[in-house]
Amino acid sequence: MITSVDSWCYVFGIVPAGAPVPSSDDEGPASGLRLVEVGKVAALVGSTAADRGLGRAADLLAHDRVLAEVLATGTPVLPMRFGAVVTDETAVQQELLSAHHDHFVEVLESLRGRVQYTVNVRYEQDTVLRQVLDEHPEIARLREADQQTETRAGFERRLRLGELVVRALERLRPTDAAAVLEELGDELDFCARHPTSPDEVLDAAFLVETAHAADFEDRVEEMGRRNAGRLRVRLVGPSPAYDFVEDV
Amino acid sequence: MSAPVQQRRGGYVDRPSPSGLADVVELILDKGLVIDAYVRVSLVGIELITIDARIVIASVDTYLRFAEATNRLDLYEKGGKDLGELTQSLTEGGAKGKTRGALSGAKEKVTELLGSDDDEDEGGEDEESRPRRRPRARQSAQRRRPQRGDDE
Repeated sequence: MITSVDSWCYVFGIVPAGAPVPSSDDEGPASGLRLVEVGKVAALVGSTAADRGLGRAADLLAHDRVLAEVLATGTPVLPMRFGAVVTDETAVQQELLSAHHDHFVEVLESLRGRVQYTVNVRYEQDTVLRQVLDEHPEIARLREADQQTETRAGFERRLRLGELVVRALERLRPTDAAAVLEELGDELDFCARHPTSPDEVLDAAFLVETAHAADFEDRVEEMGRRNAGRLRVRLVGPSPAYDFVEDV
Repeated sequence: MSAPVQQRRGGYVDRPSPSGLADVVELILDKGLVIDAYVRVSLVGIELITIDARIVIASVDTYLRFAEATNRLDLYEKGGKDLGELTQSLTEGGAKGKTRGALSGAKEKVTELLGSDDDEDEGGEDEESRPRRRPRARQSAQRRRPQRGDDE
């Protein structure tokens, strides 16, 4: 256990009291992992040096690793956003746990037996670009026009081409995203995120009962199979319910 | 993103295992319970040296990237046609031949091209042409809370 006046409590998340504690790292937020308990709930905390700062790749990986390990034991976890640092254990007990004890008990109960899956769906770039050119004569024409970037007119044509393609993809997206969501089960709790790239169709988190996790994975696989050649599918999880606790 | 890909069920889905940094950033950055709402007095306002990897703007760079991807396409229609000739005919003759104007025709072609039996690519033409500016995750309208509707 490393605790000194020069270290703060890095809070990974809220778990039931008595939850298993993953192995600690030698340094960084996941060093000196321990539970700080009040009644039925606990904060899973590590020690982070006051002068160290946070945000290295290793810090992010540690945050995820620790919470994933707790979840893997079947323990419900209320994950904190990365970077939750409190001065000391007393503050964790008084301000965080005691003040919100019943609320945390309730939320942990609602998360028991449920995990998050994140599904990221993108267009196969060449396939969708061909579709765009087929459906938009003006874009196909522009593509054949002179786009030599040495001239201002050429550069502007190229820019315009890219803009039209991006707009066209944005108009395709809602239909494809809705179809994917329907196929994955829009009866589930899900949370769709803002697309980060024009060729992204859907990036959504699903809250799935552990008992139905295999079914869900099969559904994602089937969706990937049906759309092979047109959509690329990536599945991350099971993970803590990061997307479902923001303002519980 | 170099995590090994696990393809244990049929191979149509990438399943990074274990998750690499890119996946973790996607997963946890900006997600999770915000402690400020719970701890006010003893919160340490630590400066995070991360960047928000999920911010994207329809920028010049994005446009140029997609323009280049589109230009790189090796189009089946092009055949052996000379680029200059093609440009000429397109300029003078409008869209005839190459682009067939009608969306239904294009759609048929796409379906055939993709060998897909799905019917999910209908009509972008008359939808709003401006990009949708959707709220970021925390304001997502599609969001449903886990603690309500537990009885699903």
